[in-house]
Amino acid sequence: MIRMILRQFRIQALVAAILVILAAIYLVHLGRDVSAARDTSQLPSQYGQTMLFLAAGFGLVPALIGAFWGAPLIARELETGTHRLAWNQSVPRRRWLAVKLTVLGLASMAVAGTLSALLTWAAAPVDQVAGDRFSTILFGARGIAPIGYAAFGFTSGAVTGLLVRRTLPAMALVFLAVIAAQFVVPNLLRPHYMPPERVTVPMSADTINQARMLGSITGGPVVGGLEIPDAWVAYTSKLLTSDGRQLSDAAFNECFNNAPKTGATGKFGEIAVCLGKLDLHVDMAYQPNRRFWLFQWIELALYLGFSALLAAVGLWRIQHRVS
Amino acid sequence: METPLLLRAKRLTKRYGRRAALTECDLAIPRGHVVGLVGPNGAGKSTLLQLACGLIEPTSGTLSVLGSRPAANAAHLARVGFVAQDTPVYASFSIADHLKMGAWLNPSWDRALAKRRIAAVGLDPAQKAGRLSGGQRAQLALTIAAAKRPELLIFDEPAAALDPLARKGFMRALVEFVSELGASAVLSSHLLSDVEQVCDYLVVLCNSRIQVAGPVRDLLASHHRIAGDPAKMPAGVEVIWTEHGRALVRDNAAVRDGAAARDAEPATLEELVLAYMSRAAGTVAAPHASATVSR
Repeated sequence: MIRMILRQFRIQALVAAILVILAAIYLVHLGRDVSAARDTSQLPSQYGQTMLFLAAGFGLVPALIGAFWGAPLIARELETGTHRLAWNQSVPRRRWLAVKLTVLGLASMAVAGTLSALLTWAAAPVDQVAGDRFSTILFGARGIAPIGYAAFGFTSGAVTGLLVRRTLPAMALVFLAVIAAQFVVPNLLRPHYMPPERVTVPMSADTINQARMLGSITGGPVVGGLEIPDAWVAYTSKLLTSDGRQLSDAAFNECFNNAPKTGATGKFGEIAVCLGKLDLHVDMAYQPNRRFWLFQWIELALYLGFSALLAAVGLWRIQHRVS
Repeated sequence: METPLLLRAKRLTKRYGRRAALTECDLAIPRGHVVGLVGPNGAGKSTLLQLACGLIEPTSGTLSVLGSRPAANAAHLARVGFVAQDTPVYASFSIADHLKMGAWLNPSWDRALAKRRIAAVGLDPAQKAGRLSGGQRAQLALTIAAAKRPELLIFDEPAAALDPLARKGFMRALVEFVSELGASAVLSSHLLSDVEQVCDYLVVLCNSRIQVAGPVRDLLASHHRIAGDPAKMPAGVEVIWTEHGRALVRDNAAVRDGAAARDAEPATLEELVLAYMSRAAGTVAAPHASATVSR
C-alpha cells in the first residue's frame, strides 16, 4: 500500500523536495548573515521587512500543500475513473484513504516543520531584539503552529477533492480556503485562546507620539498601533475621555485642525500636545509574550483537531457516498 | 452447509435522486455460471454491477455476493475481480508498474499468471499504459482483475469500445481466464452476440427491472414461437410478445407437448431477448431495439 502511494506520488514529491531544499539553502544563508551581525540592535531595522515578507510567503505553504498534494489525491482518481481500478484491489477503500491521509499528511507536516524550524532559527536574533514574534503575522511563521497549518491544508485539500470530484476546482477552492483560514484564525480566534490581560493606558502627548496612526475614520477618533512591551496587543479601544465616554469628533477635530502652536516636535507635533491635555485614555487587551508557546500549542491542537474532523468526514463519505 | 449463491438480490433498488436505476430486483444465481447481463443502454446494467462490486450502495433492498455484502472487507475484495467500463488504468504507469501495483495491493496475487498473460497477448511491460490501444488496455485491465485469482470476475461492458478483432481477442482471453481460475463470471453487454458465445446463464434487464433470468438451456427449452391467436393460448402459456402474427411464448413442461402439436418452433436466444426487450419498451421491435441485438 505504502509503495503504491509513493509510486503515485513521486512527481509531486520530487517537485516539493526541490522547492524545500532551495528554501532551506536560502534560510541557512539568511540565518548565518543574521547571526554574523555585529550590532544586534540594528537587526530589526535591517531584517524586519525581510521577516515580514518571509512570514507572508510562508503562509502560502499550507495553501500550496492543500492545492498540489491534497486536492488531486482523490479528485484525480475520480476524474479519470481509476478509483474503480484502485478500489477493487484487496484493500478496502476506507483503509486506502486512511493510509494515504496518514502517510502524506505526515509528509506535509514534516515539510512545514522543517521550514518552520529553519525560519525560527534564522529569525531568532531578530525576534529577540524586536520582541514581536507574537505579532499576528510572525506568530504563524514560527515554532510548531505551521505543522498544524500543513496538516489542515493537506486534509482539507483531500476531502474537498473527494466532495468536488474535480481536480482543478478543488485546487482553487482549497487554495482560497486555506488563505482565508489564515486571516480568520489570527484575527477572530487567536485573541480568545486565553482571557487577555487588560490595561488602561493614559494618553499623554508622549504616548500618542508612539502610535503609528491617529485619526477619526468611522465611529469615532482612534489611535492605532500602540504597543505594549513584551506583549501582543489584541485590542485597542477608541480614544476615551476621563468619564469613560468616547471622545467626540468635534473635540478631536478641534485639536487636529486648530491645535495651539507650541513648537512641539513629536511625531504628531502640536496635535499630540493638544490631545494630551484632554485627559484621554484607551483600554487595551493584550496577550503577554510568556504565553507564546502556550498559544503555539493551542493553535497546533486546534488545527490538528480540525484536520482529524475533516479526515473523519472523508472516511465516512468515501465508504457511503461515492459514485 | 449450502454453498452461498454467486449473486443474491432481494428487492434491490437504487435511485439517483428521483431517477430509478434499479427497481426491486430479485436474483438468485448459483455459482459456477458465466452470467450474461443484457439490456439496452441505460437499463441499469452498470448500476447492478457497481453494486455487486461495492462501488455504490443500494437505496433499499439487499445484495449479497458469494455470501456476503459486496466489498465487505479485504478478504472479500480479494475474491471478486472487477473490470470497469472503459477499462480504466493509470496513464502514467507502465504495464510493469500495474503488475507491481497488483502484487502490492493483493495478497493472493499470481505473479506468474500475470506475466504469462501479458506476454501471451504481446504487450511490452515497459510501455506506458496511457499509450495502449483500447484492446491492449482492456487486456491489461483483465489481467489485473484476474491475477488476484478471484472466485468471481465481473465485467462491465468490457468490449463495448473495442473493434471486432480486439473484441474477439478479449472474449477469448476472458474465457481462458475463467476456465483457468475455475471462477464464475458476470459480464454485461448491450450486444447479445458478445454474451451468447460465452454465457450459460442469462439476465435481461430493461427499464431498471429484471425481465427474465435463468440458465440459457432452460430459457431455450421453455420459450417457443407459435402461430395463432395470442388470445387463445392454453393455460400455463405466457405470451411475451407478438409480431407479424407470430407469438413468442413462455410455457412449461406440462403444456409443452400440446404447444409442439400447435406448430411451435424453438425460439433462438436472440428472438427471446428481443421479445423481452420489446415488451419492456412497449413498442414494436423498433430498428433501435433490433440493432442492439444484431451481430
